[in-house]
Parts: sequence; C-alpha cells; structure tokens
Amino acid sequence: MMDREELELFRASLRQAIAGQTGKALDDALDELGWRDALASDRRAAVSTLFELQGSANAASSALDLVLAKSMNVDAAVVLPPLGRVDPPGEVTGESVSVHGLGTAALERGDKAVVACEDAVVVVDTKDLTLRPVGGIDPSIELVEVSGDRVCSTTQPASIWPGAVAAGQLALAHELVGASRATLQLAREHAVERIQFGRPIAAFQAVRHRMADSLVAIEAASAALDAAWEDGSALTAGLAKAIAGRSARTVARHCQQVLAGIGFTAEHPFHRYLRRTLVLDGLLGDTRSLTHQLGEDLFKTRRLPSVLPL
Amino acid sequence: MSERRRAELDGGRSGLSAAGGGTIRGRRPMELDAFRPALDRWLEDHETALAPEYEGLGTLDEQMAQLAKVKRLAYDEGWMRWGWPERVGGLGGSSLLRAYLGEALTIRGLVDPNGYSMLEVLGPTMIDYARPELAAAMFPRLLRGDETWCQGFSEPGTGSNLASLACRATRTDDGWCISGQKVWTSYAQYADRCVLLTRTGAPESAHRGITALFIDMASPGITVRPLGTMHGGAEFCEVFFDEVTVPFDRTLGDEGQGWSVAMDLLPFERSTALWHRGAFLRRRLEDLLSTVPVGALTPGEVGEVFQQLYALRARSRATQHRLATGERLGPETSVDKILLATAEQSLFDLVAAGLGDDVLLGDDLSDERWRTQFLYSRAATIYGGSAEIQRNIVARRLLDLGADQ
Repeated sequence: MMDREELELFRASLRQAIAGQTGKALDDALDELGWRDALASDRRAAVSTLFELQGSANAASSALDLVLAKSMNVDAAVVLPPLGRVDPPGEVTGESVSVHGLGTAALERGDKAVVACEDAVVVVDTKDLTLRPVGGIDPSIELVEVSGDRVCSTTQPASIWPGAVAAGQLALAHELVGASRATLQLAREHAVERIQFGRPIAAFQAVRHRMADSLVAIEAASAALDAAWEDGSALTAGLAKAIAGRSARTVARHCQQVLAGIGFTAEHPFHRYLRRTLVLDGLLGDTRSLTHQLGEDLFKTRRLPSVLPL
Repeated sequence: MSERRRAELDGGRSGLSAAGGGTIRGRRPMELDAFRPALDRWLEDHETALAPEYEGLGTLDEQMAQLAKVKRLAYDEGWMRWGWPERVGGLGGSSLLRAYLGEALTIRGLVDPNGYSMLEVLGPTMIDYARPELAAAMFPRLLRGDETWCQGFSEPGTGSNLASLACRATRTDDGWCISGQKVWTSYAQYADRCVLLTRTGAPESAHRGITALFIDMASPGITVRPLGTMHGGAEFCEVFFDEVTVPFDRTLGDEGQGWSVAMDLLPFERSTALWHRGAFLRRRLEDLLSTVPVGALTPGEVGEVFQQLYALRARSRATQHRLATGERLGPETSVDKILLATAEQSLFDLVAAGLGDDVLLGDDLSDERWRTQFLYSRAATIYGGSAEIQRNIVARRLLDLGADQ
C-alpha cells in the first residue's frame, strides 16, 4: 500500500505522463513509471489514479488490458466481450475456439491472446486472429475488433473470468468518472465566462441546476466506486460500472446543453468526452444491460442482496 | 414500569446482559463490530415486546406511543445511549452506533424513521449550543422516549428563504417574549420542547438577527394546530406564539447566533436521518419485490431503483463515517438529500406501477400503507429543503458558480 506521500508523487508523475501523450506513447510512459508494479502492490491506488486521470485527459492506453490480465494472472493480451456484454467472448468447440470480441491496442502488439469461454479460459496465437482497428464514434480510444476460429491451448478454469470483468469494470467506472469531472469542468468554465442578458449564464437557475445534477450524478458514481473497492465483490463492481455509466450520460447531456453552441463545434473538446463516454459505457457491460441483468437476478430471489453494511 | 417490563422481557435474566453474556455497560469503548451482532440478537430476543401492538401503519398516536416504547426499552438496555456524549447521559462511543441502531429499528418496522430521526436532527446541535446543565438535564428525556421535541424553523412567509423569518423574540425583564407563527412543525402536537428560531434583530437583519431558543411547549400562549395532509397523517402542525415567555437561559448559543445554529443543524437533517430513511426505503423495495405480480415490472426498472438506493446508501454511508471521525458536515450533505429524494420518488413510482390496483383501489392495511407512503413520497423533493434549494446549495457552495440572480 502506498502512503499518502507516495500516492501524491505517483499521482503527480502519472498526471505528467498523461498530459502530453496518449496511445503507444502513454503505454511506454506507464511502463517506465512502473505502473505495473503499482498495480501489483496497490491495485486500488494504481487503478483509481490512472483511470480517473486518463478519463479526465481524454487519453487512451492499454492499461485496461493489464488490469484484466493481472486479475487472471496471465501474461497475454485479453479479449474483451463485444460492446454491452460481460459474458465470455469465446466459444470452445472441440480443440478450437471461436472468438468474437474487442481488445485494446495491447492485442495488436502481443503474440498471445487470452480468450474467456463458457467453460474455460484459453490462449490463442494473436496472428491467427483477425484484428480490425475500430474507427467508429471514437477512433482515438484505439480499440480493435477481434474475430477468428482457431486452435487453442493452455486452458485455465472459467472461474477466473468474473473477477477479471469486475476488475475491468472498476477501471472503466473510474475512467467514466474522470471524463465526467472534466466535462463538468468545461461546462463550469463556460457558464461563469459566457455573458448573456448582462450576466454570466451561471447565474441562471436552469443552468445551475443542470450542473448541480451533474455533480450529484458524479458523486453518486464516486461513492459507488469507493464502496465497491471496500466490498470487493463482483456485484458491487457491476453496480459501480452501471451507476458510473448512467452518471456519465447524465453529465454529458446536461453539460452539452450548458455548453450549447460552442460545445457543438469540433473545436471545443466536449465532443471528444461525449464520444469516449459512450464507448466506455459499452465496454464490459453497458448501464442498460447491467441494470436489466441486475433486475433479473433480483426477481430470481425476490430479495435484496445484503451489501454494504455500515 | 421499567423494572417490571425488563423482568418480563428478559425472562428473569439480568437486564444488562448482552452478547456473549458481557454487560454492555461494562464494555468500553463499544465498537460497531461488537455492537451490531449484540444489538441484532437483543432485537431478535425481544421481538414480541418491541413489536407494535397495532397492525398496518397505525394512527399517529399509536406510532408515537410505539416510538416512545421502543426508545424506552432500548434506553434501559443501554442501546439508545451509545454514540452520545456521557455529559448528556450517553455512553460515548462512535456515532456509527447510533446510525446502526436507527437502521436496525427501521428495517424491522419497529419505528417510523421520521419520528425516530428527530433525535438525530435536533440532538447534536442542541447539545452543542445549550448550556451544559440544560443539555444534561433535557437530552436524556428525548433519548429515553420520555419526551418528544420539535423543530420550529419554517413560517408561513418563510419556506425556502429561512433568513427572512419573522417570529419575534423581544427582551423583557422576565426573559424573551415570543410572538409569531411557525408552520410545518413535525410532531408539535406531541412535543414537550421546541428548538425555535426567532427574530431578535431588526426585521431586515436577515441571517444576522436570528436567535435560537429551546422552549417548553407547555408554556402559556402556545397554540398548536395539526395540519391535515394529502397522505392522511397529521404530523405537520401550525404553531402560534402569543406573548410566550422564555427564560434567557434557554437561549441556544448567543443572541444573534441563530443562523449558525440553523446551519449546524440542517446538515444533520441530511446525514444520520437520511441513513435511517434509506434503510426504510430499502426495506420497502424488498417488500415490493416479494409481493409484486410476475410481469408487472420490467427487470430494468427494478434494477435501476435498486441502483439508486444503493448509490444513496454508498454516499450516505460515507457521510456517516465522516461524521464518526469528527468531520464537520456542511453543504456536501445536499448531495445526499438530492439522492434520497430522487430515489424515494423513484421507488414509490415503481410501487405505483407494480401494485397499481392495490395502491389506487385497495382498502386493506397493506394497500393503505403503500398508498400513504406513495403520497408521502411526493413531498420528498419539498421537505427538509426543497429539491431546488438543495441544487442551489450545490451550485453555489460546491460548484462555486457564484450568487444566483
């Protein structure tokens, strides 16, 4: 565990690394900084610090891959489920595996890919897979689409997958919170500077209340994240991800309205946060599907899970 | 009554026995981890004695009698006293113990969270601002359920704009002389005391000319008129003051310090009280889940309400822990209130969607309870600082957006 001072230093150096670079350059900088070691020694500090900063700077790295790999204790890139899903992206038939999913840039760089399936987690050679760089609504996040039907080897138990999903969900939820805080900051700067009818638009209650609702949404997600780290279960990680996803969409909607015309231009950074938010919400289960699944689980038992004692 | 009742409750065992046979009064400091199972066990063992004697919601009279009974039983066993300072009759220890006690009583349906939480709303500030002798003499009565206290803040012309209050307190040789009116005063018809905000400065002195008093509701010149409300209860009252005399030593803080008293008190409306109310909402979601017909609600809408209550719980829990470390609560508790009000209305919208026939047309005790609570939930964005006021606080104090126009 890092103490307060170490954490401050760590945060400062991460902030510096993230400020100027994204993609491969950021991955290299993270390696140099020893982020992997931090992930091993203090997962919460490493994940929460990096991903909030990354979200806030609208930067991209393949750190999400490391989070999942570390959780599964594998040394290879991890194939993520398709957008909106949490179930394993692979299906084993005989000795081969059929893969349909997504990955970070790490998948393009490594030789091996880890594919979770219903009954096992298998490893395949990356060169045997078809990788397509994803453009889509947010090309700068540098996702790749993975597909293939290949021979696989080295199986591990499927039971390592839910923990990896939970670890990834926490990282993504932090990134969503970081992006939301930056979005709200953009709206705030605009609202206090933009003068209409002789006063800053921040003086108008309709504007203030949208921003207040944005902060409430962010604080709810942040509290759910703190609770999930403390609790440590897959259930609370999923809750944090779902709440952060909804929160980020709420913040984007309100802040876009506050930013109005300037926020609709390509020159203003708002659109990059909106794009990122939509994709991050979709990774490892979007709010809508996670909420639906949660409701189905509640109907199964017709009881509330007993979580988060005082 | 207490000795006899205690003997009945414990079936002849010592009234002081708690978990593992240790006496709770002998164990200090009490930690939450020890408090929780010991309290749970006591509640289980004394289920019959603690249970309401009525079915359904009960009348307000019955609810208040139930509240007093539960407080008394819990006080006699020490549970009620943990988390409060020893100088006012408490046993010390973390405020988390209080939060857990209220939660445990609420989720078992033993107390109405609103009535119970008056203790949490009024207690901390009264203790801080009253003369030590006054706090020491009075507070145990509230704790033990011997007395009910109320909060005289709102006035007919002073709803959201608290600093404009007009209820007048004038200095006389005999003490303060109070004339004016309060409204929305919960449980005033039952109350023995009132934490009252009065205008002691010039009418235009705004927040500077306010003084807080701790008054006896039995004083000559006070008239209480309960207000019927749409949910059927009459917990809110109008209170009229006609030249009511209050001794100077009942001043909370100094003359003109009433605004500080109010600003210290209001976050307590949004902390432990909300933790208790959140526990109540959670219980009602579980009740809904166990009774709602198959297909009446979609998984998505149920999941979303659970998430809202969970986020409220996560936030409110963090607030409880901050409070327990001695942190001073402030405008950030408006976030908690906004989450509560939103979640409460979402929950009861879900109830109305899933149990529509029962809520709208049913006449049995369970229907009546759902209906009453549904209607009450409409006020969640109004009472205790409206949704708009909470958002104004967030905008000004947390987002630093400057003054509104």
